[in-house]
Amino acid sequence: MTSRPRLATEVNYVNGIAALALFGVLAYVFVTAGLEPPRGFGEGSVVASIGYAMFDLVDLVPDAHGTTEGFLVAFLTIAVVLDAALDGAVMLARRDDEGDSVEAATDGGRPVETADDAPTGAATDESSTEAETAGGDA
Amino acid sequence: MAIITEYYLLLSAAVFCIGLYGILTRESALLFLMSVELMLNAANINFVAFAFYWGNLTGQVFSLFTMALAAAEVAIGIGIILVLYRNFDGIDVTEAATMRW
Amino acid sequence: MAGAYDFVPAIAALPFVAFLVSLFFGRYMPKRGAEAGIIATAGSLLISIWTALTVAGITGSATSYNENLYTWVAGVGDGALTLNLGVLVDPLTALMLLIVSLISLLVHVFSLGYMNDEGETGLPRYYAGLGLFTASMLGFVFSNNLLMAFMFFELVGLCSYLLIGFWFRDDGPPSAAKKAFLVTRFGDYFFLVGVVGIFVTFGTGLFAPLTEGGSVAAESFPVIADQVLNGEASVETFGFGAQTWFTILGLLVLGGVIGKSAQFPLHTWLPDAMEGPTPVSALIHAATMVAAGVYLVARMYGFYLLSPTALAIIALIGGFTALFAASMGVVKQELKQVLAYSTISQYGYMMLALGTGGYVAAVFHLTTHAIFKALLFLGAGSVIIAMHHNENMWDMGGLKEKMPVTYWTFLSGSLALAGIVPFAGFWSKDEVLFEALIHGFGSEGMLGPIFLLAYAMGLLAVFFTGFYTFRMVYLTFHGDARSDTARDPEPVRWNVKGPLAVLGIGAATVGLINMKPVAVLTGAEIDFLHKWVHGPDEGGWPAALSTDLVTYEELMDGVAGISSSYPIGGEQGTLLVSAALSLGLALAGVLVARSLYGVDEPTEHTDRLGGVKTVLMHNYYQDEYQVWLAQGVTVPLARAADKFDQGVVDGVVNGISSVSLFTGSRFRRIQSGLVTNYAALMTISLVLLLVVFVVFGGVVN
Repeated sequence: MTSRPRLATEVNYVNGIAALALFGVLAYVFVTAGLEPPRGFGEGSVVASIGYAMFDLVDLVPDAHGTTEGFLVAFLTIAVVLDAALDGAVMLARRDDEGDSVEAATDGGRPVETADDAPTGAATDESSTEAETAGGDA
Repeated sequence: MAIITEYYLLLSAAVFCIGLYGILTRESALLFLMSVELMLNAANINFVAFAFYWGNLTGQVFSLFTMALAAAEVAIGIGIILVLYRNFDGIDVTEAATMRW
Repeated sequence: MAGAYDFVPAIAALPFVAFLVSLFFGRYMPKRGAEAGIIATAGSLLISIWTALTVAGITGSATSYNENLYTWVAGVGDGALTLNLGVLVDPLTALMLLIVSLISLLVHVFSLGYMNDEGETGLPRYYAGLGLFTASMLGFVFSNNLLMAFMFFELVGLCSYLLIGFWFRDDGPPSAAKKAFLVTRFGDYFFLVGVVGIFVTFGTGLFAPLTEGGSVAAESFPVIADQVLNGEASVETFGFGAQTWFTILGLLVLGGVIGKSAQFPLHTWLPDAMEGPTPVSALIHAATMVAAGVYLVARMYGFYLLSPTALAIIALIGGFTALFAASMGVVKQELKQVLAYSTISQYGYMMLALGTGGYVAAVFHLTTHAIFKALLFLGAGSVIIAMHHNENMWDMGGLKEKMPVTYWTFLSGSLALAGIVPFAGFWSKDEVLFEALIHGFGSEGMLGPIFLLAYAMGLLAVFFTGFYTFRMVYLTFHGDARSDTARDPEPVRWNVKGPLAVLGIGAATVGLINMKPVAVLTGAEIDFLHKWVHGPDEGGWPAALSTDLVTYEELMDGVAGISSSYPIGGEQGTLLVSAALSLGLALAGVLVARSLYGVDEPTEHTDRLGGVKTVLMHNYYQDEYQVWLAQGVTVPLARAADKFDQGVVDGVVNGISSVSLFTGSRFRRIQSGLVTNYAALMTISLVLLLVVFVVFGGVVN
């Protein structure tokens, strides 16, 4: 069932040359960039300071860790986004017997021949009504 | 003794290009998604490296947000792959090449 | 009240309205459109008479008229060419308007008998064609510039095509119509090139100058050409000498004239055109359309006189055609065919007159020929009705007692055609030959012998004319009837006999308008036509238009080198000798015909000519020659041109579009639909952008 990972040698690697070229350019730029030594952080727990900065408790950040700004709004937004992503994933994964609204019942108007299970087959039977709702949504 | 920033940047570039290579060559949608994750994490490395360079926390906080977004994106991506599988009986991205008409 | 000149456009507009009425409402009218045609041509005739009276000075104030009425294309910029339509009325115009409208009216009346009474179908189309033709011919007559004349020239050709092919469901008429159209069109091609040449050279196509309040507003091209030859003006002559270039232009226009007036070598269409109804033959192919060519040369005579070469060519063509066609008319068996060849021959006489400087003679012969030829054709139509449309003269005979009106009018026309005194044809033909003779003896250089050669050909044709005319008369009307239809011919009604009577009287009397021999011998001033085109000695229309006889005589003497000389006993002696010669030859022809065919049971004596007869019956193989030219020469050329067009011209265009198609099809492959390919493209672009930034050190300055 499982097999150890094997190096992918049968892929079409032509397009990948672009990636190598990009690496070459980036490497050249980074190596020839004369950067100063990093400033680094001072004494104190960086993680704690991250927490303070995240929740708009900027005053509690020690001076050694630089001047930061508050990220509370961003934090809340990310929470909402994660929640939405969860709901979206659930909706995408939903089965057809409840009227799956994202199934493209046809590809170009034809019923898809590969009906892998009954619900999909049921959908093709009602393909005319499904296609309309699918077309409305998709 | 701090690691010079160029090495961090090189690492980030390498990871990014490995992810890009994966996107350009892989057929399977799951591996495609994995390559996208690699690219996002390469950007994260970059953020952290420069946060250390400038001594500013903003980069580190940002990388946390990026990770959260990557997670959200993967959730949706897996959902899309599921629908793709249902419609094309396989997850080969090279098969879904024509717009719906 | 408005003068006659304001109504001159109505002369052509009335028949045009009749055309529209016949076309759209003819089927509702009892005579299928004839009423409209008769009323319109009667109206045109009345206005023409009024115009003629005004030109004569009897009514109205001005004796000539030349105005541009409509700007068709306005030139842009200074000195640019403007194309106008306008009206020119001078004595020649007035005379021709009278002739055309009179003959058209008589033909319309005759058509009631030939077409309506015979139960023909499709008559609205017929009367519409007649109406359009009359309108076009009248428009041609009063055109004041060459382009307008060309337009109407072509319209007249179109109407000829439509009317010849009237019975288009048979085999003959559509083929004859096509032949007429193509042969005349061939000549008209040269005509068009000539028109363009004249416009480009002179900047105007006006026949006579436009005057405004006494001074010249626009000059006409004959006057400009004369000024160029005098050194008073200069025009672009494209590398040729001025006179050479004018000769070339004149010969190009002559191409259209030769086609339309059925001169050699473009005469082949006229005998075939007899497939059309006889009234059409009378109107178009005897009296008016074929006259258009000769009328055009007379209209442009001031231009032609500047080029002795063109005049010599016209004279030679005319003389040759006269003899050539007369020889072919001798052997023909069908009534209308004899008349067709006679028409070609007589127009040859008119061209002979114009070429040798006999302007008055040409105009006179044009007038008399219109009348007696229309008469002969209408008479033939009457015979054809009687013979139930059998035209073969060998089936006729003895019709003299059964159709007296037709016989006497036909005889009047035949005597006029043969040129027997005192009928009209004698006076005009005699004057043509006389002018050719005296100018032949009096002109300088090569012109003299050329004119004498043409004169000799015309003189010989007089004998043939007399012969074939009376052969026709004797075979048709005299002797015993040779078929049942001839024994019991169908009677004809007043609508046939009326026009015949009118024209019969005309053929006998119209010669009175210019009895030059009598005038010269007795000193009486009875050469009215001569005076008509001569105009007043001072001022009047000659000064305004320069289209008068005095101007032409000055040009003849000064530029062309034509002058008169009376070799035999002065003017009167030469006149008498020439008249005696032509009359004698005509009488000789008549007497030979009488002795051969004026018997009760004539035989075809021309069979004795043997092989000559075969050549004559085949019209000297001119038709076969022209068909060979079309098939053997033109078709391969056309094929080569088509290949060039398809291969090179279309090839270039298709090549350009194929480049676009090819690049499009190649570019299309970028749109593969694969996301990975798009990502690869984006990556490559990013790489390139970064390289550019690295090399140039950024773009922010």
